[in-house]
Amino acid sequence: MTHLLETSNLTKTFGGVHAVADLSFGVEAGAIQAIIGPNGAGKTTLINLLTGIYTPSAGDVRIDGRDTRGLPPHRLAGLGLSRTFQNLQICMNMSALENVMVGRHLRMNRSFTAALLRLPALRRGDADCRRRAAELMDFVGLGDLTERDADTLSYGALKRLEIARALASEPKLLLLDEPAAGLNANETAAIETLIRRVAELGITVILVEHDMKLVMAISDRILVLDHGKQLAIGTPAEVRADPAVISAYLGAA
Amino acid sequence: MRNWILSGRAGLLLLAVVLALAPLGFGNPYHYDIAIHVLINAIVAVGLNLLVGYAGQVSLGHAGFFGLGAYVTGILSAHYGWHTLLSIPMALVVVAVLAFAVARPILRLSGHYLAMATLGLGILITIVLRTEGWLTGGPDGMIVPPIEILGWQLFGEAYWYALMAALLVLAVWLALNLIDSPVGRALRAVHGSDVAAQVAGVNTTRYKVLIFVVSAVFAALTGALTAHYSGFITPDLGGFMRSIEFVTMVVLGGMASTFGAIVGALVLTLLPQLLTGFDELEMVVFGAVLMAVIIFMPRGLVPSLRTLIGRFLR
Repeated sequence: MTHLLETSNLTKTFGGVHAVADLSFGVEAGAIQAIIGPNGAGKTTLINLLTGIYTPSAGDVRIDGRDTRGLPPHRLAGLGLSRTFQNLQICMNMSALENVMVGRHLRMNRSFTAALLRLPALRRGDADCRRRAAELMDFVGLGDLTERDADTLSYGALKRLEIARALASEPKLLLLDEPAAGLNANETAAIETLIRRVAELGITVILVEHDMKLVMAISDRILVLDHGKQLAIGTPAEVRADPAVISAYLGAA
Repeated sequence: MRNWILSGRAGLLLLAVVLALAPLGFGNPYHYDIAIHVLINAIVAVGLNLLVGYAGQVSLGHAGFFGLGAYVTGILSAHYGWHTLLSIPMALVVVAVLAFAVARPILRLSGHYLAMATLGLGILITIVLRTEGWLTGGPDGMIVPPIEILGWQLFGEAYWYALMAALLVLAVWLALNLIDSPVGRALRAVHGSDVAAQVAGVNTTRYKVLIFVVSAVFAALTGALTAHYSGFITPDLGGFMRSIEFVTMVVLGGMASTFGAIVGALVLTLLPQLLTGFDELEMVVFGAVLMAVIIFMPRGLVPSLRTLIGRFLR
């Protein structure tokens, strides 16, 4: 199996504190890869390193074999990386549908002149974008809400809207940052189904999540972090049986 | 039907009709003059609204671009004998280059810092206009020749009204097109969530710079035309109070509403005229009206009224 995303000796220090230390792992194309760890394990720092918000202190991140060092988030989007946010990042000044349409930015005609004059080609592209965005809202289960303003949607709906927006860029790699946080059991079950369907589209999923039931149910592989270091990596069964994980994280007696 | 009524296309048609019919109500050149000033302010406000209302970047220095546009064409045509059809485009180029040069460092800032930086820029421009008297006539201002096309001088309020009205319709058409395009959605996304826009692949810095330059050019064009219309310009055209007025028009009419910017310009230009009867109480009443609008319609006039109409049509 080829690795779509790979890190080698990835390290990030903040004034002597190793938030992420010497981390080397690969994510197989098409897999659902979970990243778990107790609070302060370095998950957020790792996400910020993967998505170009932080620059590594040492080591590197490669997507499709390409070193991403120094690339800002909007360039990483061009490499096929998309993500959702733990604390929602929805554009509340736009409609739900327009939020998803923004996700297709890189696949649109971005000519300023064409936009000003509203040329026919641009209009067709926009109509197509609108249709695809509506399809994606339907895909994530928000088919009834396409006409709504984003600020009228419930929390659970906004979580799905972020997934629709992330999918709109047709990413190779989708990073879901706590997609089930704040959701009840029913909503979490629905998100689980949705993540499976996303993976079936051939999109590689990196899942950062606290809900162990969800993680164990859908992950192909799990990376366990503790104090910024890799504690274990493997299938859910392997991780569950790992003594280090049990003592450090799942809580041994 | 409801969507069409609430969409910009219907508004554009309505605007064109209103502008075409308005002169029927004008009794004398003074009415035309007031109307032209409404149009001037409206064009600047529509451009500024793209930056402030849609992209969410504050500028407290836009009158600086307006004043600079006026002075560049004024100086080139009055002192250096440039043809006005060349000096006006040159004014746009100068302002565009200046706006582009300062945009990158300025737009790295946000919130209060951005407001302060643009405020400083506007003040700097007026200081230069005021002190470089050998070129600008200093605080006393300078005389600017009229626009001349093939030996025919553009003169008289009716012609100027027609020109400015056509320009406003054009500006609104361009603004509506832009907002409802991939570029416009990217700009609004920058306002809604900068980081979400970046993740979607939007080069947020590039877009902020772009819209800053575009709105500065709107101001410069209007400033340049104002210079030739009024025939006399002073550094106050680019002053701090004018910058505040432009932002107030956008906020009062409704942020992120192109027609709101026009209504804001209309109200803020007409209100002082209507309130002259109050003599020294004029500013008090003026302030009270503004406060009432912001308290009772915090989203601005047009978005609040649109919600009402939308509810009514449902």
